[in-house]
Amino acid sequence: MRQTMPVRLGPAEDTLIAQLNSVGASAEADRMTVAGLPTRRVESYHYTDLKTLLKTVPPLATPANQASAPALRVAGAYQLMIANGVVQGASTAPAGVIVGTTTGGVLSTRDDVLVHLNGALACEALTLTLESSVDPVIQIDRRCEGDAAHVADAVKIFVADNGSAVILETFSGSEAAHVGNHATYLALGKNAVVTHITVDLSSKASSHFASNEYTLAEGAKLRTVTIHAGAGLSRSQVFARFAGAGAHADFTGLNLVADGQHNDITIDIRHGVAHTTSQEMYKQIARGRSKAVFQGKIVVERDAQKTDAKMMMQGLMLSDEAEILSKPELEIYADDVVCGHGSTCGELDEESMFYLMSRGIPKAEAETMLVRGFIAEVLDPIEDEALNEALNGIVDGWLLGK
Amino acid sequence: MTTPILEIRNLHARIEEREILKGVNLIIPPGEVHAVMGRNGSGKSTLSYVLAGKEDYEITEGEVLLDGENLLEMDPAERAAAGLFLAFQYPIEIPGVATMTFLKAAINAQRKARGEGELSTPDFMRAVKTAGTELNVDTDMLKRPLNVGFSGGEKKRAEVLQMALLQPKMCILDETDSGLDIDALQVVSKGVNALRAANRSMLVITHYQRLLNHIVPDVVHVFSDGRIVESGDKDLALQLEAKGYADFDGAAA
Repeated sequence: MRQTMPVRLGPAEDTLIAQLNSVGASAEADRMTVAGLPTRRVESYHYTDLKTLLKTVPPLATPANQASAPALRVAGAYQLMIANGVVQGASTAPAGVIVGTTTGGVLSTRDDVLVHLNGALACEALTLTLESSVDPVIQIDRRCEGDAAHVADAVKIFVADNGSAVILETFSGSEAAHVGNHATYLALGKNAVVTHITVDLSSKASSHFASNEYTLAEGAKLRTVTIHAGAGLSRSQVFARFAGAGAHADFTGLNLVADGQHNDITIDIRHGVAHTTSQEMYKQIARGRSKAVFQGKIVVERDAQKTDAKMMMQGLMLSDEAEILSKPELEIYADDVVCGHGSTCGELDEESMFYLMSRGIPKAEAETMLVRGFIAEVLDPIEDEALNEALNGIVDGWLLGK
Repeated sequence: MTTPILEIRNLHARIEEREILKGVNLIIPPGEVHAVMGRNGSGKSTLSYVLAGKEDYEITEGEVLLDGENLLEMDPAERAAAGLFLAFQYPIEIPGVATMTFLKAAINAQRKARGEGELSTPDFMRAVKTAGTELNVDTDMLKRPLNVGFSGGEKKRAEVLQMALLQPKMCILDETDSGLDIDALQVVSKGVNALRAANRSMLVITHYQRLLNHIVPDVVHVFSDGRIVESGDKDLALQLEAKGYADFDGAAA
């Protein structure tokens, strides 16, 4: 018989246990006491050892008195704001949008520490019901403001049958060493068409954790874009479940990692019924001494015959000290499926650089052109012009070292 | 005496331990078209890459002047802005960069380097359209990513289109005829000939005489084992075609 050794808890875990107890989440507190934060021995955290990386956790957030300037403005967007976990008053909603709040967690139960923490600590969730096709881009501006705070917030979105929307979530705030734990639940009705973009623009001192859960009904079409361009430590989790035939999703993302940063995108896609398709396309760019992590898991359940899933990770190294890690996992229980995955990593192509420079384009500009070319596949499908431009602007800003 | 557009003096270059250029001397006055002919592996393409500033090569001796300026001190972008243009034997495919975006960036970068203002979008479009018509390059092709999925002929036409837009002083055409059928060769040659001018010189690198029926050179040089071993008028190309390169190898010894 194996003896279970009690884990040694660090200051971050002690703070989390106290915070969980303070909100009456004693079961979660007990779980943290027994298991601690995940180490690299936990497979889904293999490259992002939270026990080592998350050294301290600031006090739980109090409502913010003031908010910094918006991190990203998109012309014509309908804006909603959650500051330090509290849903702010909003202007009149556009046609087809019902805005509300609810209490408690929004994600399905699963064995994941970030999901558990969010469920226990998020007091209030913003709810959006989209009854039809919504014209303007819906922007949910999620902030961590004031002194360093542990912020948990949640959003729950229902898109009705045949509805459509473009939803942008931005994460930003003051320069303090916040820990943000964000959850979004998005359910697509039959034949609903949704683009969901999440962009982390929080300060380098902060840690950003986001868990996005999706369910797709029959014939639904989803595109997700996960962009990391902010926090020093970040992890975005994408959990998706195909629950109706004919549903298709493109899961995409840009993991932009600069000196001193560790950013992780982890996806877990479940094809649960027959005749569903997905394409996963993630690009990671690392510069300086940094670490970019992508973990991609696709599960095809026993009844999910005729699933077609293709996953690709492409990494671009802009320095010798950068690390790009990629772990694809396919778990296939059906016998009539097409599933593939690929992973590539390289530097900027020297021949391409020479070609561009030989036409008079200076080195820095040539590099920017090649990087833009590298990520075009991810940003080009965003049709809204103002939004596309704003997202390209984020990448340009990152390239200039902002 | 007028300053030559290109002057190469005793140029030696190596890649790793292997010396490829072994003392090239060449003077091209304004307005002249010179051809360099030589067998595969004689160092012709290396000469074009060294002139354009490709990093893989180490220059061990000699100098190169472009219109009197020291070319070897410049990076490839500066050389282009100074008026050098290399039409690649194998133009590079760059996915994700639209041809139009690339053309505009190249033109404006060169204008900026020369202290000129940016070309306005309508002026740019007009210039592209005019040059494109001559070369059978339609706007659809320019919306595609740079050289991606272009046929051999389309790639070479796109190179000449760039040349027409950038208006260089010195054009180097590296094996421009490779991969072209007869029709495409005529279109490309016509495009090149249209760019011949009193203030523009050209260096045409090829190992077939065929191209030189279309782009008629003022001077032909025979390249062998990393240097020029014989120079003459356009009839030298015909002699080469008839007798092969073997007769000239002795001259290099």
